Amino acid sequence: MRQMSLVAVLLVLAGVAVVPVARADEAGPGVLAIGAAAPMADQKMMNVDGKEISVADVRGTKGTLVIFTCNACPWAKAWEDRIVALGNEFQKKGIGVIAVNANDPAKAADDGYDQMKARAKDKGFGFPYVVDSTSKVARAYGASRTPEAFLFDASGKLVYHGTIDDNAQEPDKVQSRYLKDALTAVSSGQDVAVKETKALGCGIKFRA
Amino acid sequence: MSRNVSCIAFFAALLCVAVPGRAAPVTPAPAAPRLIPAEAPAIRKAVESAGGAAVLVNIWATWCVPCREEFGDVLKVRRDLAERGLKVILVSADFDDARDDAVRFLGERGVDFPSYVKVGRDEDFIAALAPEWSGVLPATLIYDGHGRLVKILEGQQTYETFRDWSIQAIEKGRNAK
Repeated sequence: MRQMSLVAVLLVLAGVAVVPVARADEAGPGVLAIGAAAPMADQKMMNVDGKEISVADVRGTKGTLVIFTCNACPWAKAWEDRIVALGNEFQKKGIGVIAVNANDPAKAADDGYDQMKARAKDKGFGFPYVVDSTSKVARAYGASRTPEAFLFDASGKLVYHGTIDDNAQEPDKVQSRYLKDALTAVSSGQDVAVKETKALGCGIKFRA
Repeated sequence: MSRNVSCIAFFAALLCVAVPGRAAPVTPAPAAPRLIPAEAPAIRKAVESAGGAAVLVNIWATWCVPCREEFGDVLKVRRDLAERGLKVILVSADFDDARDDAVRFLGERGVDFPSYVKVGRDEDFIAALAPEWSGVLPATLIYDGHGRLVKILEGQQTYETFRDWSIQAIEKGRNAK
């Protein structure tokens, strides 16, 4: 709500009606604002390699990509190869990368730990794929769907939030590679031109 | 063993042979629900030309468990508020390879009115229908009778939430005339 509240106040001041958005009650307080630092950065989460790791642990010299994703969601699956390729590529360019699965396996059977291990191996994740075992990290970011990316710059400020690109279904018809453009900018110390984007996605299956 | 199986199969085959003039009456299969591919402007136009006192747009997908769970409540509020002028527009967000599943699902739920399946860019769809919507599914967008967005409901909702916001939209539109 942090960023939304500011936007809402500005719009009200400008005389523009604001349509109230009611999120399902399990969702967090509102999405992290551009410029904010990563919340709960020291929270340890179980990686598919059996070791606990935090966002702070993977922080890169050029920036850090935190991406909420999962095994089960058709959008996450449609973008999965692109997510893995970007993560593997930019990890070599100084960007710390971590994929976070906040889904409750009781609500999404494919999102159990064993299934995550199999997926990470099958798809060649070169970066951690961790379990947000309380969904509190996702809530702290205000993440609502999968996949949803949060990219922080070298100073730790959020500089990009949103989707992977503009076409989940047809990779060969992508016109705007939002996340890749943001990663390229951050890894070379440049400003990110498009800071926020949206796409349809599966609701995160938050734990109670 | 094999002789017994053969025997059973033989009598089963006899029972299954159609007797001329004694065939069961053929009932026509119900028409498959119409699922119309539509880009954002067409769906926006459908909202504006729905002609009701309020319009509830429910965006769903076959693989989305909360979408399926709330679907009955969407149809119930459509029935219950029809006389007060509520129009309901269903928009599937299924991918191309799940269109048949979507049609089957609509048929199973007794949807006998046309509905849409979203095509085109997600961003255009979100911007045209509800710019403040995060894109999460399910989503329910409630407009007044003038096509003005009144409420965005993200995630699974209850019947009471659908009903109460629809009534508010009906009354808001009426008061704004």
